[in-house]
Amino acid sequence: MNNDKSINMKTAVLLLRENPNQAPDPYRMEELKGLAAAAGYRVLAEITQRRGRDHRFQLGRGKIQEAMSYSPGRLIFYNPLSPGQVFNIRSEFSASTIDRFNLILEIFVSRASTRESKLQIEMAKLTYDAPLVRNAISMKKKGEQPGFGGSGAYDESMYQDIRSRIAKIKAALKDVESMGEDRRQRRRELGFDLVALAGYTNAGKSTLLNALTNAGVDAKDQPFTTLSPTTRALDLSGRRVLLTDTVGFIDDLPHFLIKAFRSTLSEISEADLVLLVADMSDSPEILRLKLAASHKALWDCGSQAPIITVLNKADRLEQGESLERLAMVRDLAPNPVLLSASTGLGFVDLMQLLHQKLQPLKEVQIKLPYTSEGMSELSRLYDRSEMLDVSYEDQMVVKLRGKEEVVTRALSSSAREL
Amino acid sequence: MVCAAVSAGISPEYIEKIHQVRLKPCIAETLDLNTVVNLINAVTQCLEGTVIAEKGDMYNLDAWRVRSILGRDFKYPESLGERNAIELAHHISFAGRKLITEP
Repeated sequence: MNNDKSINMKTAVLLLRENPNQAPDPYRMEELKGLAAAAGYRVLAEITQRRGRDHRFQLGRGKIQEAMSYSPGRLIFYNPLSPGQVFNIRSEFSASTIDRFNLILEIFVSRASTRESKLQIEMAKLTYDAPLVRNAISMKKKGEQPGFGGSGAYDESMYQDIRSRIAKIKAALKDVESMGEDRRQRRRELGFDLVALAGYTNAGKSTLLNALTNAGVDAKDQPFTTLSPTTRALDLSGRRVLLTDTVGFIDDLPHFLIKAFRSTLSEISEADLVLLVADMSDSPEILRLKLAASHKALWDCGSQAPIITVLNKADRLEQGESLERLAMVRDLAPNPVLLSASTGLGFVDLMQLLHQKLQPLKEVQIKLPYTSEGMSELSRLYDRSEMLDVSYEDQMVVKLRGKEEVVTRALSSSAREL
Repeated sequence: MVCAAVSAGISPEYIEKIHQVRLKPCIAETLDLNTVVNLINAVTQCLEGTVIAEKGDMYNLDAWRVRSILGRDFKYPESLGERNAIELAHHISFAGRKLITEP
């Protein structure tokens, strides 16, 4: 059965060109291997070459011939390929070729389930394709003669079609984004604190969400399992918190992919608190690299919220080793907590830190009249805040504790009704 | 051009305290690595700590090479706090240049 499965799997050879002016980075190939496995490829060989960029094939001709000797279904390059390089490799070696960006897109396409994520992926793909199509058109038009045999207006219109489709998707995503913003505002008014789970891909964000809220969302040991945000409620000793799981970050993610996933990432930028999840079982160098990439992504998101760093999978290390590793990444780990989402280690510390870092609740006393509006306001306050005391005198005197939004609204409605 | 240096204590998220801000205007024929390094050395003289600058400013050289050229501890920004400090220095140098060049 397993043999049949491996025969049916797509095969690939991974290629990486390292810049001779920069230090070698073995993690790049490891990451590419993980991405290829997530996209369903069986890796036949990994080829690395240290040299300057070859303008025709990215790597040297000999290395591509070596890759072709394994008879792979596809060549996967870590380095970005220009349209000319894809064309040259296809025509000279008859090999199907993609780069890391297209591999990530392939994973996204296979996992996208919601309309929003499908639109985001289509936009990312079109934004990537548009300049390639333009380039292909200009190459085709070179040496074109007037009359028959020219590429004419059809090719030009193909580029225009892409541009208009991008504009339509942008408009659709803008609607989704404003819906998300309205939803977040409504949730804040309902007295919820918004906490976003962010972090490098395959750090264990979904597992943590499941462990904290029994959400039952899909959580696997593979990159990009989550593509659409999932929100679940968490009761934090009386405080009502909404935890949102988001799409994972990855190093060197093209900026237009971040742009395409802006509506998803806005869950992070608009959160009251960010839980930055990192995989502590990684080697110290890789842990640093992933945390730095996460900080860069948070910077690109424009996040201003306080951060708690959840160093997940701490159960895989000895206590002394965990503390040593924590000391090595201290400058990249604000408010660190050692935790294991699978065993429950460190949950108490995390809850305490969440309590400390969330904006403190406000306590106020208001008066409400015995009118239908006053009664409905009282009912609303029972739903959205913690009622400390209600006394029925010549007016209703209500003492409550709640989020700033709830308290401000309660004060203004009290002033209006009296 | 104007080079700005912000001497600050930073946490992983924020700038905790700004100790000093320095501005140094300079006129140069070319903007090669030597000019940039001399300018950084002049503006950070007697300031303690690690120099942080953007990768593009140092012509994308590896951090260890810049460290050896500068002759002091150097790194590229990684955390949000370091990025905040660099953004602040950018704003200050831009404002300084505007003050000098605009009548």
